[in-house]
This record gives sequence, C-alpha cells and structure tokens, in this order.
Amino acid sequence: MLWAIGAGALSISPAEIFSILCHKAGWETGIPFTEQQENVLWIIRLPRVIMALLIGGTLSICGAAMQGLYRNPMADPSLIGISASGATAAVIMIVLGGKLFSGFQSVPGQYSLNLATFAGALLATVLIYRLSRIQGKTNVGIMLLAGVALNAISGAITGFVTFLANDQQLRSVTFWMMGSLGGATWINVAGILPFCALAIIGLPLMAKALNAFSLGESDAAYLGIRTERLKTTAMLLCAMGVGASVAVAGIIGFVGLVVPHIVRMAIGPEHRRLLTASALCGAALLTLADLMSRTIAPPVEIPIGIISSLCGGPFFLYLLMKEKKKNSLL
Amino acid sequence: MLQVNHISYQVQGRPLLTEVSAAIRPGALTALMGSNGAGKSTLLKLISGALQPSAGHITWQGKAMKDWDQRALARTRAVLRQQYSVQLPFSVFDIIAMGRYPHFRSKLTEQCRNVIAKVAAYTGTEQLLNRNYLTLSGGEQQRVQLARVLAQVWDTPSDQKLVLLDEPVSALDIQYQHQLLALVKGLTQAQFTVIAVLHDLNLAMQYADDVLLLKAGRTVRFAAKEEALDAPHIYETFGVKAALHQAEDYPHPFITVCPVHQQYQQW
Repeated sequence: MLWAIGAGALSISPAEIFSILCHKAGWETGIPFTEQQENVLWIIRLPRVIMALLIGGTLSICGAAMQGLYRNPMADPSLIGISASGATAAVIMIVLGGKLFSGFQSVPGQYSLNLATFAGALLATVLIYRLSRIQGKTNVGIMLLAGVALNAISGAITGFVTFLANDQQLRSVTFWMMGSLGGATWINVAGILPFCALAIIGLPLMAKALNAFSLGESDAAYLGIRTERLKTTAMLLCAMGVGASVAVAGIIGFVGLVVPHIVRMAIGPEHRRLLTASALCGAALLTLADLMSRTIAPPVEIPIGIISSLCGGPFFLYLLMKEKKKNSLL
Repeated sequence: MLQVNHISYQVQGRPLLTEVSAAIRPGALTALMGSNGAGKSTLLKLISGALQPSAGHITWQGKAMKDWDQRALARTRAVLRQQYSVQLPFSVFDIIAMGRYPHFRSKLTEQCRNVIAKVAAYTGTEQLLNRNYLTLSGGEQQRVQLARVLAQVWDTPSDQKLVLLDEPVSALDIQYQHQLLALVKGLTQAQFTVIAVLHDLNLAMQYADDVLLLKAGRTVRFAAKEEALDAPHIYETFGVKAALHQAEDYPHPFITVCPVHQQYQQW
C-alpha cells in the first residue's frame, strides 16, 4: 500500500509519506518533502489508494456473497449485468438529473448518484435471481445468458441517453463507462464509505446462513434460517456495495469473480473465512491493478477496467472449461 | 409425541391431502407409503413445518407446528432429502457442522465438536471428515448428509428428536439402501421419532415399525407394518396384486408383486 501511494509520475519515498502524514496531523518529523509532493499525496494519491482498497474489497466480498446466494460459482456483478445496470442508472441520473444537482462533486450529490446506481443494481440483482431460478435452483446457463441480455439492454439505454447529453455530461458519462479510479477525491471516498462499510461489515455476519444456503433453500430453512430475510438482506447489501463502487469508478469487471475463486482455492468455500479473506485480497489486488494502470505507461493512464478485464476474461474462460468438464453447465 | 389431526391441504383448490390423522409413536420408524402423487412428500413437508395445512393441525411436543419458532424447531426436528446438489467444494466436516448451526452463534462450541465426532462415528464418516464433499460417491454423500441431519438433534432430550426422511434411499444402490436404513433404524432405540417416505415394500417390511398408506391424499391404513402391509391393503393402495411369503424363522413375511401383463396391440 505504501508502495502504491509512493509510486507514480511523481515518486515519494515511504519516509516522505510518513513525514507528510505526520505533518498533516500537526507533528513535524524533520524529514524533508516538497510542497508538490504533499499536494500530490494528499489530494491525488491517498484518496485514490483508499478508493482502490474500498472498491476492491467491496466488489470481491459482494461477488463471493452473490456466488453463495445464487448457489453457483459463476455469479459476478459485472458478468451478470448488475454493474452495467447500476452504470445505466448513473448515466440517466447524470444526464436527466444533472440540472437538479448541479454536478456531483459534493457529498450529497455523490449520495444521490450512489442511490441511483444502488437502485439500478438492485433491480438487476432481483431480476437475475427471479429469471435464473428453476425449482429452487439457479441455472448457471440461464443466469449467464440473462446477464448478457441485461448488459446489452443497459448498454443500449446508456447509448440512447448519451445522445441527449451535452458536452460536459458526455465527458463524465464516458468516464463512467470506462471504469477508472482516476477521479478519486476525498469527496468520493466519503460518498461511498458508508455503503462499502455496510457491505463489508454486514455480509460476513451472514456467513453461516450462506453456507447453509449451499445445501438448498429449503434445507437452510430446516436449519432454522430465515431464508426470505437472508435473501433480501444479502441482495440489498450486494446491490449497495456494487452500486457504490460503480458510482465512483464505473464498471470494473471480473474482480468479484476472480478474487473469491482464488481465495476459495486457497482456504475453501466456508463463507466466514471466505468473505473476509476475499475483501482483504480484493482490496490488495485492486490497489495493485490500479498501480499498474498508473505506472505501465506514465504519464498516460490505462483505465483499470481494461486491466481487470484483460486478467479476468481469460480466467473466466478457464473457469468455463472447468465447468464444462464437470458437465454441470446448462 | 407427534400428532397429526385431521389435516387437509389444498393447492389452488386441488386437494392434495384430505383428513389425514395419525399419532406417530416416539422411538419408532414410521414409513409413509403410497403411489406417486399420493401426497407422501406433501405430508412430510407439513409435518416438517415447511408448509401449513389448510385445515386441521399438527402438534409436536404438545405445541402446534405453526407456533414453533423456526430456530427452536430446528434444534428438535431435522430433515433429510433424497438428493442434494451442492456446488461449492465444502469439506465433509463443514457440511456436518452445518447441522449444528441452530446451536451456536458464530463459533463452533466444544459441545458441537463432540456431537460432530459422535455422529461421524455413528455414520462411519470419520475417515471422510477432511475430504472434499464433491469428490465422494453418491452413497457416501448421503451418509454425510445423514450425519449432518443427526448432528442437528443429537443432543436434544431423548424423546424430543424428530427425524424426517424424504425418500432417503431412492438414489442409492442396494448395499447403501440397507446401510442407511439400518443406521436410521438404530436411532429408534435412542427414542428418536423417525418418519420416512419409502417406496420399496420389502424395505418397509424389514426396517419400519409402523406404516401409513396413502392413496390420493387419503389414509388407506395406519397400523403396525404386518397389519398395514397385507395383500388387500397393498392392492388398494398401489393397484397391484401382491403375495406374502413367510419363510421359517424369518421375522416377517416377504412381499412379491405379481407381474402386470400388457398385451401388445398391432394397430
């Protein structure tokens, strides 16, 4: 993390970082740093790294929880259209609601945007859940195909709405569709923090119930779990987490698929450990990916969505091959 | 003591069960039998509390099923189904530990670990505890599920344990069928109340104590197995002719079903 804060177009050493942070806290260490370094660290670097940590953790934990909820390992917020629906809602909000909120660079503006992505994500979550269930089981094939449809519909709506947008709106719309942490500010961080925190703290509390859910819905009920309440809460929390991260960073694909899988291979599918570990691992991974996106070709930044899809796409194909061998798909 | 009092159950006006009554004995294995669609699984779901009857009521330990708190009920009643489709690679220990979920909040207690060790020993799954559940054979998986179900009620006071089995052996080969039913039968000695939906007349004759015969949602007969499973009742329930053979020194008769002849017609 220190490395991530320090590396970039302008490099700052760990000692200097320490010194700057202490300076901010009103305590001088005597290690020299320039004012430029201080500004870059405080205004650009630090919020961005915290944002990467938050979003990486949130997306991963939501992915892991959704895989438990849908009872199959292929569920991923971006793959089944949940992120896209959230983004569409955000775009509609920016273009149609922009006048109401005179820009979204304020905490209340950020909240309203969060609310829009949350609504979009929730709608998609419920829709996919309803569509892909056959006799109490989620059908992986239908779930993925419904995701394709949802992605297409969201894309079309987004495309349509962009025609109604003016120049400035268009710029912020494209930014959302690319998936980037480039716009991170303290305002953004403050805007998503409560939602991410809810997902990251709330979902592990449901670990036992999610474990039981993997036996089957009726069996979880036989074990004394209130399944309806579990489903509602889990969907709300996931939609909230995914919605929040889409609201500030756009669609960052595959994080929720890849991270829980790697973690599951390492420590098994038991959700109490899996959820927490996924959050930590996802936070680290996204910070690393963001670091790559900043440092591969400085000063140009490669949107992080491109990097995550570049790594995640092949991984998804590999998972499909594995599922094909088990012959359990469709 | 489990009391089923005049229950009826309808779905969209179509009656699935009509006026079914039974006083299920504790410490006995009661078999629910009947042809497909007779309402066996529905009755089992009503008894489990997953469904509520349209009329009549079911009481368990003197308390109506619908008044039970879901979590409290989970500590005294467990259900085993025919087949499970687990997708995630849980270890056998994790699966059995799920049976203890109604008993602890966030961490397995010492008591829970004891129970898990005991049910694993009883079901012969100790060697499997660290295995990946998905790599087990069908018979092993069902035994692990039985262990999970038993873990749920193992340390409940002796006459307050209710185990419901919905076609527990239908997907198993002959050896596992007998193994599993023998395990279930053994429970009745510890005063478990066991109710199982069974299809095989002879398995019921060999392992059950009481038999409840259902036809089109109505009780044909509810009695001790020798009394319920005689040729007239079998004919009434299943529409097949059966013959009972009593071998010398064998505890109960053996049931054979006369072949049904169907003439092939040339159109």
